[in-house]
Amino acid sequence: MKTTDIAVIGAGPAGLSCAVEAAKSGARVTVLDENLKPGGQLFKQIHKFFGSREHRAGIRGFRIGQQLLEATERLDVQVLLDAAVYGIYEDRLIAYITDGRDHTIKAKKIVLATGASENALAFPGCTLPGVMGAGAAQTMINVNRVLPGKKIIMVGSGNVGLIVSYQLMQAGADVVALIEAAPKIGGYGVHAGKIRRAGVPIYTSTTIKEVLGEEKVEGVITASLDEKWQHIEDTEKRFEADTVCLAVGLSPLTELAWMAGCEFTFIPPLGGHVPIHDRNMESTLTGVYIAGDITGVEEASSAMEEGRLAGVACAESLGYYNEKQALALKNEIWDRLDALRTGPFGEGRFTAKLKQLEARRQLA
Amino acid sequence: MQSTDVVVIGGGVIGCSVAYQLAKKGVSVTLIEENDIASGTSGACDKAVLLQSKNPGLHLKMALEGVKLFPDLRKELDMDIEYKNDGGMIVIYTEEQWKVMEQFVQRQNKLGLEVQLLDRDRARERQPAFSKDIIGSTYSPMDGEVNPIYLTLGFFRGAKKYGAKAILGTKVKDIKLEKGRVHSVITGSGNILTRHVVNACGVYAPFIGTMVGLDIPIIPRRGQIIVTEPVASLIHGDVNCARYITAKFRPELLGNDEASRLGIGLSLGQTKNGNILIGGTREFVGYHKHTTHRALRAVLKHATNLVPALKDISIIRSFAGLRPYTPDGLPILGKVRQIEGFYMAAGHEGDGIALSAITGKLLCDVITDNKMTIDIDMNKLSLERFEEEDIDGFRKSHNCYGDAV
Repeated sequence: MKTTDIAVIGAGPAGLSCAVEAAKSGARVTVLDENLKPGGQLFKQIHKFFGSREHRAGIRGFRIGQQLLEATERLDVQVLLDAAVYGIYEDRLIAYITDGRDHTIKAKKIVLATGASENALAFPGCTLPGVMGAGAAQTMINVNRVLPGKKIIMVGSGNVGLIVSYQLMQAGADVVALIEAAPKIGGYGVHAGKIRRAGVPIYTSTTIKEVLGEEKVEGVITASLDEKWQHIEDTEKRFEADTVCLAVGLSPLTELAWMAGCEFTFIPPLGGHVPIHDRNMESTLTGVYIAGDITGVEEASSAMEEGRLAGVACAESLGYYNEKQALALKNEIWDRLDALRTGPFGEGRFTAKLKQLEARRQLA
Repeated sequence: MQSTDVVVIGGGVIGCSVAYQLAKKGVSVTLIEENDIASGTSGACDKAVLLQSKNPGLHLKMALEGVKLFPDLRKELDMDIEYKNDGGMIVIYTEEQWKVMEQFVQRQNKLGLEVQLLDRDRARERQPAFSKDIIGSTYSPMDGEVNPIYLTLGFFRGAKKYGAKAILGTKVKDIKLEKGRVHSVITGSGNILTRHVVNACGVYAPFIGTMVGLDIPIIPRRGQIIVTEPVASLIHGDVNCARYITAKFRPELLGNDEASRLGIGLSLGQTKNGNILIGGTREFVGYHKHTTHRALRAVLKHATNLVPALKDISIIRSFAGLRPYTPDGLPILGKVRQIEGFYMAAGHEGDGIALSAITGKLLCDVITDNKMTIDIDMNKLSLERFEEEDIDGFRKSHNCYGDAV
């Protein structure tokens, strides 16, 4: 049977950062990812990251991905690709499918860094070809170099909606309109300004009423919303479009944590049901850690910090770091995480994450 | 204090069926369930209504009487319970099994079960997906299928339609007796005055028993089941292998390889949606409800040997349910001698779905002091039949206090 010290499930920003940090201590680390390429969503992030220098501000996402991959190679981290983990069983046995065959690996510690998935939205016509997640459209243009459509309606004005709108325009599409159900734009002003200057109209307090089309998207009817989120009559607008992108939030991919038996708490700002964890990112199951969007949807920078934290904590519990060494490293990471969770956008996440830790304390 | 004629404890298929039959008769019934309807064993099983798997004798007789009720239920209940009567097969791999099944079939025929042996070619005519490695199979046109969750919900909604009350998400804390008879039920949300209590708690029935000083020999036996993605029609009716029958009645004959230790006997069926249900195991692991990798692997090995096409179909889920197992494989039904007004309706192991309708009828007759409408000797199903049994020994020898795995 294959064994390892630390098995990290998910080779996105959290998983790779965790693997690198743990491998630096000398631990044997194996990363498993169901995709054919590692990096998670990093390789489609062609924009520069925000934040301070420690958070690699000014570096484009895919470059961060490349740096992390180089580090895993340098540190002899084993990265198993096309490895879809379908179950965590007794005694931390991980079962996965590669090449259509069943495999297992036994780990002393498991880190779940499975990320999040895009939310869908239900409206008449939502199953027509041409309606897709904004993240899917981003993968098509930035990774596969395929334009999903020519005339695009973007739904949702969070950072994903704003950034992907801009990138779709860079790729040659026409973003007909961006609509937002809330009365205010959700994402950073700097991103919104960019697409506004490019002439994209942003309609707030507006939702999709219906998508028109026989076999594919041919048009979109929107309607205005009142302060109770109800349609206002006679406010319908009709747009010609062939693609509708949904950027309406993400939900943590928690299936493996549920299956392993982790205890959960419900925190809507983090995406709903999230596994409870302590300051070391350890779930309520001994030896099972979580990091990144599975712990609550944030962004790549905090996912990477959480990954590092889990990596250090795993290494410490396996004896690769003593308490003092580990504490020094963890203090630095905790400080950087706190810094990421400040400001008008970070404050809410800071409070939400405190609730998650509070849930852990209440269990203990 | 609320009051009601009968309190049924347990919202599984058995409790709901009993509540349905009583409410239909005009009896005032209150059903109490700790979680939700079909949230335990009834929601964690396959969909077979098998006659062939019943031991020829009282067991088969009950099942035969029981399935007669299904066609009517389909009309009575305001819900599509997906009842079908596509027959069932038991696959035979060796000459030795063929001989065992020959005798089994003869005994079944005597009791009125239509069942015959098919050679390999005729078996594969019915199930073209079977591998050529089989020797043959049995076939009974009387085996059927039902959606267990819809059946349970159908009984539940039917009971409510006839005026039954339901208290869900509520735990029974105690049962008070007065002068040797049932007086009231103490719950997490108030007390209920009643003269009759039905213990329909399946594997949890012993905990209710303790409240009134009864030692009930029911222990959990875990069954793991795998669900595939929906595919076009591939499996027709119920399919079991002869090992399934052996695992059920004579596990000691199976030998000592891993599949035998896990009590693996293959069962296959396809739901209305096209998902194939692949079972299963029969394991004594206490009240642990998780699935195990080794069992899933072993079950799938058997399944793909019989139906090679399964290799190209994806699995989407697996789950485990706890079957309420009794020392003689028969359920514990009816009055309890020591306590007036206390009734048992539990211990059906893997036969609860098939026996649900008849259990409801029998209990209804007993509780309403009717002449029995079905000719079944209730003494042979009573709790008292275990008076001489070393119940704690039974629990210990079957790992009831269970180690995981």
